[in-house]
Amino acid sequence: MNAIKYLPLAALLLPSVSHGFQSLESAYRRTGPAVTSVFDGQRQVLQQSSAVMLNGRKEIAYGVVISPDGYILTKASEIAGTANLSVRVDTQSYPDAKVVTVDDGWDVALVKVDASGLTPVEYAPSSAIPQGSWVIANGATSLKARRALVGIVSAKIRPIPAGGGNLGIAFKDDAEEVLEIADVAEDGAAAKAGLKKGDLIVAINGTAVLEFDEISEVLKDLKPGTVVQVTYQRKETDTTVEVTLDPGPVTRNDMMSGAYSDRRSGFPRVMQHDIIGDKSIVGGPLLGLDGRCVGMNIARANRAESFAIPVEDLKALAERLMK
Amino acid sequence: MFRSASCLFLLLSVSTLSVDAQSFPFNEKKAPENLEDIGAIQNALTSALGKARDATVCIDIGDGSGSGVIISADGLVLTAAHVSTGVGKDVTVIMEDGRKLKAETLGLVADVDAAMVKITDKGPFPFVPIDKEGTSKLGDWVFSLGHSGGFDKERGSVVRLGRLVRIANSTIQTDCALIGGDSGGPLFDMSGKVIGIHSRVGEQLQVNMHVPLKEFVSNWDGMLRSEFIGEGPFAQKPEKGSGLLGVATEARSAGGLKVLKVGRETPAEKAGIKEGDVLLKLNGTALAKREQLQELIKEMAAGDKVEIEGLRGDKPQNFKLKLGERN
Repeated sequence: MNAIKYLPLAALLLPSVSHGFQSLESAYRRTGPAVTSVFDGQRQVLQQSSAVMLNGRKEIAYGVVISPDGYILTKASEIAGTANLSVRVDTQSYPDAKVVTVDDGWDVALVKVDASGLTPVEYAPSSAIPQGSWVIANGATSLKARRALVGIVSAKIRPIPAGGGNLGIAFKDDAEEVLEIADVAEDGAAAKAGLKKGDLIVAINGTAVLEFDEISEVLKDLKPGTVVQVTYQRKETDTTVEVTLDPGPVTRNDMMSGAYSDRRSGFPRVMQHDIIGDKSIVGGPLLGLDGRCVGMNIARANRAESFAIPVEDLKALAERLMK
Repeated sequence: MFRSASCLFLLLSVSTLSVDAQSFPFNEKKAPENLEDIGAIQNALTSALGKARDATVCIDIGDGSGSGVIISADGLVLTAAHVSTGVGKDVTVIMEDGRKLKAETLGLVADVDAAMVKITDKGPFPFVPIDKEGTSKLGDWVFSLGHSGGFDKERGSVVRLGRLVRIANSTIQTDCALIGGDSGGPLFDMSGKVIGIHSRVGEQLQVNMHVPLKEFVSNWDGMLRSEFIGEGPFAQKPEKGSGLLGVATEARSAGGLKVLKVGRETPAEKAGIKEGDVLLKLNGTALAKREQLQELIKEMAAGDKVEIEGLRGDKPQNFKLKLGERN
């Protein structure tokens, strides 16, 4: 079942407002400083126990400080392939951060820096706090200070099954019994492999395909990054190419979501919250009102949904990775 | 500490019934000043959430889904016009627990994105009150519910918190982040009264727009009467000639039209019309010629109601149906 899309926006933005309008100053909006300043106690916890993961000088994610001697958990796929990984905790910089180990199931990396006297997060006894409860996460940072972002627990704790990979192809709607490419996504998987508008897809991994549903069926169990053999027909000649699947598929909802995490599915269990931030909020701790850690932010799924690893799972994972 | 604050509100609203829910102290402040204010917001939300969620539904229209909210025990649902897309359509309403109910779209207001749906299965259904008087004001704390991205039983409907950040002519804006699938879902004040219906978003994540309840109130009776009010952009009137009945006929010497063939999965088949039946009258007009039936249908549109008086053998047989959509 597809979700109904919003109508195109430009044409609809406030048609002919004739009586003027009232508007709340941005400082008083939910993400505004006048609101978030009340959460200064929680902000100070983030200052101490939310690590900033850096590639050179660029912030790439946050991390959860879990030991005084410099063990930190972060989102593995966000730091993968980083040549110059360093970490900042509070105002202190730690160069030469080492990735100790990675858990692919949770997309979590254990990182070690040479430190002492750090303040680890205090784990909350349970992630089962009522929906509607406040949660706090790391927002923008400067060299000296963290900013708090606030939101609420917004849905049930549940698993997020792995999403299938994406070819980056739009097919013609009206074509029957033929899979003609109507368009390829710019820099998408198919485009990179040389597929073009007008080509007919005839087989994937050697299996003949006639309908879009048949392609979906093949792709749904294949993770992004998987290489598939795509056979296509162009000018009555069949050619087979290797296509490396993109994350996706990119939906209409993705188009309106700003930046979201590359990996946002395939988690054993997540809690969901509505903190409005960009994808760089991932990796850091999610705090309850009492300042204790109820989870670790693991994915910005879309405009309206963010995921965190629940604290029970996080604790167990930390213990396992530290062994 | 937070718990006791919540009890205070509850007592107030019981002992002084005229005190409006909008008098939450946190709504009187420009921003929360301390943890007590923050706790009071959380308590109001968690108290109102259960009932609000029970009344929030997913509306499956066949080739897509949106959200809606039940506002009466007999199943009147408010939603957006771009979700219902038309009048008199059969849709499925999905409750939070996954129960699927038959429903029909009532009227809509095409230029402000307001619509009603009626559950036709038998109630009673859980419902929430609406803020008819429009008492919310700029800066009030609000929450939204909706089936973001479609129905997901394991997840449930998704709740988001925000403030009323902009009030314009026929649109209110909040910082409750919305996404496709939320369309038509309810925006609540902190007492759990519906104050608006989700409509559309801006490019910025903080820009989320809702239809204020006053737009429903001012078109209430027309929508209940299944009227298509206003012109686009949120819904388009079906065009004349778009209606489909689904029979092939020939004139009968004794009067009326004999059915030669009934199309598969057409409104005619669904209404029970069979080969060999005789159609005598359509909406009161006596039928004598095949072309005449075609002309009558051509003057109608998809979704229009049709009553046919006919015969099966010697027995009178009446059919009621809604025209389908001609492809």
